[in-house]
Amino acid sequence: MIQFEGVTKTYQSGKQEIHALNGIDLTVETGEIFGVIGFSGAGKSSLIRTVNLLERPSSGHVLIDGKDISTLSAREIRKTRKDIGMIFQHFNLLNSKTVFHNVAMPLILANTPKNKIKEQVKELLDFVGLSDQATKYPDQLSGGQKQRIGIARALATNPSVLLCDEATSALDPQTTQSILELLRRINREYNITILLITHEMGVIREICDKVAVLEAGKVIEQGTVFDVFTNPQQQTTQRFVRSVMNDELPESLLKQIQNPSRKNSIYRIQFTGTSVGQPLMSRISRKYQLDLNVLFGNITELQGAPYGNLIVEFTGPAEEIKKALADIREGNVNVEEVLNYAS
Amino acid sequence: MLVDNEQILEALWETLYMTGVAFLFSLIIGFILGLLLVVTRKGHLLENEPVSKVLNVIINIFRSVPFIILMVAIIPLTRIIVGTSIGTAAAIVPLVFYAGPYIARLIENSLLEVDEGVIEAAQAMGASPFQIVFRFLIPEALSSLVLALTIAIVGLIGASAMAGAIGGGGLGDLAITYGYQRFDTLVMVVTVAILVVLVQGVQSGGNLLSRRVRRR
Repeated sequence: MIQFEGVTKTYQSGKQEIHALNGIDLTVETGEIFGVIGFSGAGKSSLIRTVNLLERPSSGHVLIDGKDISTLSAREIRKTRKDIGMIFQHFNLLNSKTVFHNVAMPLILANTPKNKIKEQVKELLDFVGLSDQATKYPDQLSGGQKQRIGIARALATNPSVLLCDEATSALDPQTTQSILELLRRINREYNITILLITHEMGVIREICDKVAVLEAGKVIEQGTVFDVFTNPQQQTTQRFVRSVMNDELPESLLKQIQNPSRKNSIYRIQFTGTSVGQPLMSRISRKYQLDLNVLFGNITELQGAPYGNLIVEFTGPAEEIKKALADIREGNVNVEEVLNYAS
Repeated sequence: MLVDNEQILEALWETLYMTGVAFLFSLIIGFILGLLLVVTRKGHLLENEPVSKVLNVIINIFRSVPFIILMVAIIPLTRIIVGTSIGTAAAIVPLVFYAGPYIARLIENSLLEVDEGVIEAAQAMGASPFQIVFRFLIPEALSSLVLALTIAIVGLIGASAMAGAIGGGGLGDLAITYGYQRFDTLVMVVTVAILVVLVQGVQSGGNLLSRRVRRR
């Protein structure tokens, strides 16, 4: 478990003080994948670096499994760091060394016997699917392969925590997908807690259990990925959510339906979980004798559960519409009014 | 020609000897200074502003004195170190004082070229400062270090030509005494030709070695 308690970080830049972190309180539970998202300059990279003390908090505490790491001696810090793997946006591999040597590095630093290193590196390379590349050099590999090497290296010391510093931001979408799958596998198979920072909401949606939104060194919103995605509160969060889940009506459609001559009601219907599978629309239409026109819609998967978002135009007697809405609300479905001319 | 082959061979040997020994000592001094310059920098492994500032000033002072002046200026020191102020051995002392700070700057440059991310990754794995220097910084910079040191050797060969001023001998001395002062063009041409070949050889060797250590 990683706990941030009132963590601040202040830099001196000339005469100006820069507050990179402004009192962060967060808890990352053991075994979960926790994502921190924010625009550049929000303080993400300072935040992740306080966990292994690559940056020391100006005030506040970071606790790992209840232990305050800022009180540790230099030697103890190095020991703690061996239990915290880290991967980077630009991989940070040794270009002068082979893939094998790169992955072996943490073991060499720990004075592991040679035959044991050989065995472990082979296992690690197998795990990341690069066992045939051991004798190559990093500059002979693709970005995705380099990140896999970075991951293998980070796992070499059997850490209980993995820090991912924009690990997929330098990769193309397809490679990003495969690296995220690998991270999920690490989380599940080894029960490694993952703390990642990113500016891509897609990464959060894809693998995170929980998310915190960082802005100007503060956590402005946090919660489970499902809650934050389906019901974002802050404007910045809404912008991030919208970047991957378009639930806004297109401009042209909006103009069309805002025409006052169209006397009808428009509602946003959000399906979650099991309710997606039901033939709700046709049932409602038949039962209440209403015309339902789906103007816009999409269905995404969030943490393994489908999440649907429809914008529907209801045409019919106001009384019946009301009844229909009440009926819809009885299921695991959220209805929200977009426009209503009927009432 | 006013000199015979034997004299030329002897001068060649003196040049090689002065350059070689001076290089070894200045490499040791330059390496230590260069490494200190890097790690005591702001934000680096062993940040230490006073040490960094003092080192920089000292190195700059030595780097700004012309070699011919330096050679004469440190004669008392030379006498203490090698017991005499003239001859080949005496020439080595000022050469070290000249090349040491120079090599320190070259090494500083090469080490600074190493991607900071690599150092960060090393720290994140729990490497000690010593391990970071010898397992990450130097291996990553090695190819560039070899090229930098090649430049230093060529510079030393050039500087050793002035050693004649304090009776150090060598090819440069021969060229000045016979070729220039006694108008023996042939001696001049021959010594310069040997120096050209020498420098070419050193540079080619350096390039080759640099390529070979790029990946190990």
